[in-house]
Amino acid sequence: MIEIKDLSKTFPARGKDAPVEAIHDLNLTIRDGEFLTVLGPSGCGKTTLLRIIAGLEPWDHGSISIDDKDLRGPGPDRAMVFQSFALLPWATILQNVAFGLDVRGVSKKRREERARELIDMVGLKGFENRLPGQLSGGMQQRVGLARALAVDPEILLMDEPFGALDEQTRRLLQEELLVIWEQSRKTVLFITHSMEEAVLLGDRIVLMSPRPGRIVDIVDVPLVRPRASAVDSIEGSAEFASITSDLWQRLREMQTFRRHHHQDEPAA
Amino acid sequence: MSTTTAVKPRRFHPPGLAPLGRIGGSIAPTVLSLGAGAILWEVGARIWNVRFLPPLSDVLVRLAELTADGLIVVSLRNSLINLALGFGISLVFGIGIGLLMGAYRKVEMALDWWVYGLDTAPGLVFAPIFFAIFGLGPEPIIAIIVMYAIFTIIVNTVAAIRTVPAPLIEMGRSYCASDRQLFFRIILPAATPLIMAGVRIGMGKAVKGMVNGEMFIAAVGLGAVIINAGRRFDSAAILAVLFVTIIVATVSVKIVQLVDARLTGWLPATQRRRRANG
Repeated sequence: MIEIKDLSKTFPARGKDAPVEAIHDLNLTIRDGEFLTVLGPSGCGKTTLLRIIAGLEPWDHGSISIDDKDLRGPGPDRAMVFQSFALLPWATILQNVAFGLDVRGVSKKRREERARELIDMVGLKGFENRLPGQLSGGMQQRVGLARALAVDPEILLMDEPFGALDEQTRRLLQEELLVIWEQSRKTVLFITHSMEEAVLLGDRIVLMSPRPGRIVDIVDVPLVRPRASAVDSIEGSAEFASITSDLWQRLREMQTFRRHHHQDEPAA
Repeated sequence: MSTTTAVKPRRFHPPGLAPLGRIGGSIAPTVLSLGAGAILWEVGARIWNVRFLPPLSDVLVRLAELTADGLIVVSLRNSLINLALGFGISLVFGIGIGLLMGAYRKVEMALDWWVYGLDTAPGLVFAPIFFAIFGLGPEPIIAIIVMYAIFTIIVNTVAAIRTVPAPLIEMGRSYCASDRQLFFRIILPAATPLIMAGVRIGMGKAVKGMVNGEMFIAAVGLGAVIINAGRRFDSAAILAVLFVTIIVATVSVKIVQLVDARLTGWLPATQRRRRANG
């Protein structure tokens, strides 16, 4: 369980830019084994929140604990999947997937065995000795996912992992993520700016609003599991449509609010 | 597919691609260009009888003579020893200092004025000082070679460390890599292409430093042969040594390129080209 209490984070002023309050007084509890999606427009602090939980970013106020232990930097209990994939371009797919195990000192034989299992799981068997540059974006993110799963983390942190992919590839990967997750049931924190993605994948949706970044609501997604085998019927259902349209109303309000109240600000 | 349209080969290539000619392509343009230059030289020098520009054939004959009497061979050996030592020192200390400057802000602040200042200074102005310190011998020449080559290598290494993609470092940190692991598994390999670009330029500069240094000290090596020939107004010998120098430069840069290709074979072709331009 991850407990976040009164979290605040302000990026200091840089040059002419004023300080930015990325996160303001945020309280959130992430339950064990839940798939939590975080949805919000750009600038709402959702990525900052994820980076703080990953241990990559310091914060100003508040406390974060994982299983009652204070968060102190990155840890083996968490693994991250990056929007930019962040694969090592000189290393083979096998070496990339084994990276996390390698830095942990797992022997070459054991880490390659484990890496092969995961390469198989994400459907990249036969590509072990290729370089990332030889793979499509979708395949590269499969590698990113396999690398994260290889270290068998308790918590999977996903920062808009499918944001850089085309629509068709994204849908395929969403389905596959559901298959993998519904078998393993790890705790997942998934950042996205897509309403459909947030609803399709999540047990709960944290809705965030910008300037300053804060939680406006936490929405339960009543769709049944497993969803992996029923993606099409879920997306065609009235329930799915009503949740996404409700989310859209609220996201649009945030945008209108910004337009009316921040007219002096230059367009982003 | 009913018909296939033959794709025309592109005539224009980005500049900087394959500087020594033809990788995989036809060598015809290179041969034609060199041949035309050789004929122009030979014929032009004979027709206009330019002072200090003997025809190509005279230069080649002189080159054969100098090679036969052993002067070129002995000088070339001395020059190559100087080059190897000077470039070796530049390589080790250049990359070492560059890595420290790239990794530690304070080291960079302490050294960057020296490095960027000396990088632009003509290395030969230090020749008298080195001559005064080390006397007649290979040491001042080696020092001059270092002055020519090392700063480019340092500057490129610093830039290489600075431009390692931040997401890769974050990825390493998120998987709990230690500083040591970050350096050896992410930063150093990611920086290698740009470091090698500096090494390649440094190699060319080292050859220049070698000849200039030897011409100044005029005791050993190919540069000494040039100076002595100059005193006798033996233009053919000067140009013959120039030939040898160009061959030394070409071969040594080629060796660096081969090492580079081995180290950075993972780099996509487009990036390889962009780096060659940059």
